[in-house]
Amino acid sequence: MILWLLLLLAIGPVPKSHTVEIRGMEFHPAELTVTVGDTVVWINHDIVPHTATASTSIKWDTGQLTQDQTGRYLARKAGVAHYVCALHPTMKGTLVIRKE
Amino acid sequence: MSAFHRLAALALPFTLTAALHAQATSPAPAPAPDLTDPEVAHVAVTANSIDIDLAKFAETRTHNAAVKQFAATMITDHAAVNAQAGALAKKLGVTPADNAVSQSLQSGAAQARKSLEPLSGAAFDRAYIAREVAYHQAVLDAIDKVLIPTTENAELKKLLEDVRPAVATHLEHAKQLHTQLAAPAKTGQ
Repeated sequence: MILWLLLLLAIGPVPKSHTVEIRGMEFHPAELTVTVGDTVVWINHDIVPHTATASTSIKWDTGQLTQDQTGRYLARKAGVAHYVCALHPTMKGTLVIRKE
Repeated sequence: MSAFHRLAALALPFTLTAALHAQATSPAPAPAPDLTDPEVAHVAVTANSIDIDLAKFAETRTHNAAVKQFAATMITDHAAVNAQAGALAKKLGVTPADNAVSQSLQSGAAQARKSLEPLSGAAFDRAYIAREVAYHQAVLDAIDKVLIPTTENAELKKLLEDVRPAVATHLEHAKQLHTQLAAPAKTGQ
């Protein structure tokens, strides 16, 4: 048992998966806090395609997601990333990435 | 002014002023037309197709990256909506029925295209985006005041409700571009 606990401590926190739903031309939640190593999954529920695209110091682009498609990003670097839908720049979201 | 009149206003000979100030120059309000579901479906498909056609024209005419991107989005989004509308009509066994509102929209679209034809450069961009602001505002009003209230089929009504946020977002996007295009160009100093 003690060995098991030591092993867990050595491994550190288990990476999580977080979901951002795109519906009604909005990101839900619009702001999400994750930890380095976590994965963020965007799922598009809208009829029209969307992207989740960050062009700041932290960059990613899911590409166009049609209805019910998903895109993901593995958070590798701590920081705050503001992102938009490249097709609908009035749609905005924020990803806060904390260190482990 | 009724939503029907805002749509009908787009069928008037198109000029920037006419489109943006249609409300001030239109006749007295009249009751909204009582459309059947097949007619509502036809209006929805026509409204999407009109914006796709104008966006395709804009893509060939504009040199502004933001306007080109906006036009590309209009093509993608309205095509996606029409695909859903077509699939729903097929599922429900409904044949969209031509009607006076659709005909007004088509007539207005032809005149808008004619007005944009001689323009180029920044003048074209401003006129196209101004038209998109007026058009999406009119369509949004029609969705709220004519199309959703008169639709009886629950699935068709839900489709219209699902499409509404996209039209509202297009309107905001067009307004944002309209403001940008009206601003004096930066000198880069």
